[in-house]
Amino acid sequence: MAACNDSSRQDHGLQRLSLQERMLLGFEVEQFLYHEASLLDDRKLDEWLALCTDDIYYWMPIRRTTTAKEIDNEFTKPGGMAYFDDDKKTLALRVQRLQVGRAWAEDPPSRTRHVVTNVRVVGVDGNDVTVASNFMLYRTRLNSEEDSWIGRREDVLRRDNGAFKLARRSIYLDQTVILAQNMSNLF
Amino acid sequence: MAATMIATQRPQWFDPATGVLDRRIFADAEIYRQELTHIFGRGWNFMCHESQLPDSGSFFMNYIGEDQVIVVRDRSRKINVLLNSCPHRGNTVCRAEQGRTNSFLCSYHGWNYDLDGRLVAIPGQEAFYRNDVDKSQWGLGTAAQVESYRGFVFATLDPTAPPLEDYLGWVGKLGLDMLAAQGDLEVLDGIHKNRLQCNWKLAVDNLYDWYHVKISHGSAIRVGFVEEAGMAPLNQMVILGEYGHGIGGPGVTEAELAELEARVVHGAPGEPQWYDLFAKRRLDPRMRKELGPVGSRSLGHPNIFPNLWVSLTNQLCLRLPRGPFETELWWFTLVPKDIPAEARREAIYMANHVFGPAGLLEQDDGENWSHSTRGAKGSHSRTLPLNYAMGRGHDRVQHDPSGQSCIETVVNEHGQRWTYQSWQEWMQADSWQELIANHSLPPAEVV
Repeated sequence: MAACNDSSRQDHGLQRLSLQERMLLGFEVEQFLYHEASLLDDRKLDEWLALCTDDIYYWMPIRRTTTAKEIDNEFTKPGGMAYFDDDKKTLALRVQRLQVGRAWAEDPPSRTRHVVTNVRVVGVDGNDVTVASNFMLYRTRLNSEEDSWIGRREDVLRRDNGAFKLARRSIYLDQTVILAQNMSNLF
Repeated sequence: MAATMIATQRPQWFDPATGVLDRRIFADAEIYRQELTHIFGRGWNFMCHESQLPDSGSFFMNYIGEDQVIVVRDRSRKINVLLNSCPHRGNTVCRAEQGRTNSFLCSYHGWNYDLDGRLVAIPGQEAFYRNDVDKSQWGLGTAAQVESYRGFVFATLDPTAPPLEDYLGWVGKLGLDMLAAQGDLEVLDGIHKNRLQCNWKLAVDNLYDWYHVKISHGSAIRVGFVEEAGMAPLNQMVILGEYGHGIGGPGVTEAELAELEARVVHGAPGEPQWYDLFAKRRLDPRMRKELGPVGSRSLGHPNIFPNLWVSLTNQLCLRLPRGPFETELWWFTLVPKDIPAEARREAIYMANHVFGPAGLLEQDDGENWSHSTRGAKGSHSRTLPLNYAMGRGHDRVQHDPSGQSCIETVVNEHGQRWTYQSWQEWMQADSWQELIANHSLPPAEVV
């Protein structure tokens, strides 16, 4: 199956948890995602970056319109061509870039709103929790410009001294041709 | 004012003598419609690289102007360019961006076309049409000519267009040779595509623009993603070619190449330079021979007129018009097939992080071009000309004994002026015959 559907696997680690344990875990996960989204929208990007593990892989593949028969080829593969193909160092460059001046795509700054929904814990493996969610990212800038992206994320959250950190984020946009002048924001 | 003078027969939008441009060319719907026929309909348009069509039935969807075309390899392994429009009702017969198929079946009534565009089946041919339809007359429209140059596939809708190699000339070929001479290439799976709110020509003219880098890309320089010395060097080399092709950007001297070779190949001491990565590709003697004494010193950006940018990052970028105010950018990334895994990964990292909509450089370009387009719409602003005069009259074309020529200078606007001068001649000509008879040859002396 396409990478997009990895979360359809049922994870045994998850099935071993009781309903109460899964409810608590679900709450923790949701609160983490909402907090993280608020940091992005509030432009607290250093704080956001601090929530990423040092070995994070932040990835948005290229999506193509294919026939139903060839739908397995809809997304490019990890390590290949992608819109985002970032380790922590590259994410740090993106964040720093916005702080040093002359980052015109974000000056004046865009206004963004991340709406995160349909949050599901789909796997538990030791300290790693795999979480699927849907998102809508609305961006408006200057006085009349609007972009919006809807898609699905699959994250790996890692417990680190009791708190979650983001260890992997895969972003599957629903657009094929990106209908925006850039993606100067984070998803 | 020269730029706003409207002649009765031949509109003058650009005055090469002053470098003054009428900005209405970025916002006028009638000019745009004429570009679709006079430029995109007439020129050789880049379709894809042969590696994207490995098998019979492999196809890639592209555009000639706003006409959607299917580029497909047929059973005899020939590459065809078919108009994606069924001659029965005009519907598309292919809706995927790429893939593999045995035929193109129209989803409306089921007319079915072979990989060469021939109509092979009509439902109800006997019962409803009473066999009164000549299938041989109702195939898909095709490009008038399809040719490849070293694996790069081009098509034109004009049967009178000169052969591709004549069209490219030495400058267009040199631009593509900068990629092709690296070996047997393949396009990596995955093409960045995004849509800007700008006129396509503003995206094209920017590829020659080494003036904007320090400002537009100031943040990428400040965080050390690219080196200032590399992004705004003083030594610039411009090569201009017939029909509007050109190469513009940094040039290195023979001494710099020799220093690089001594340091990188033979281990002599020395500081790494910004151009090492790109210039290293030019050290191979076979490569130097292929690109020639001038071409192998150019680290600039070729443009295959009208809209194919050959980037130093081993990428091709098509600037596809979507109306006067919209442009799609498509980035194709190429590597030699036998490149070591680590170098392949490096090439992918660079392609994923420099350009494309999330690229650390390109993010900051789009709004400039969309606002320049907006600046061509205002009822007053559109009457004010634009200044493309930098360096005009101050440089001289140098002729190498090899036959190659170039301008060696500082940051300049020679490439942009040549683009608009050529564009104007394409727009003024009513046919290839007229364009061949009347087009300007590239400047040979003072420029």
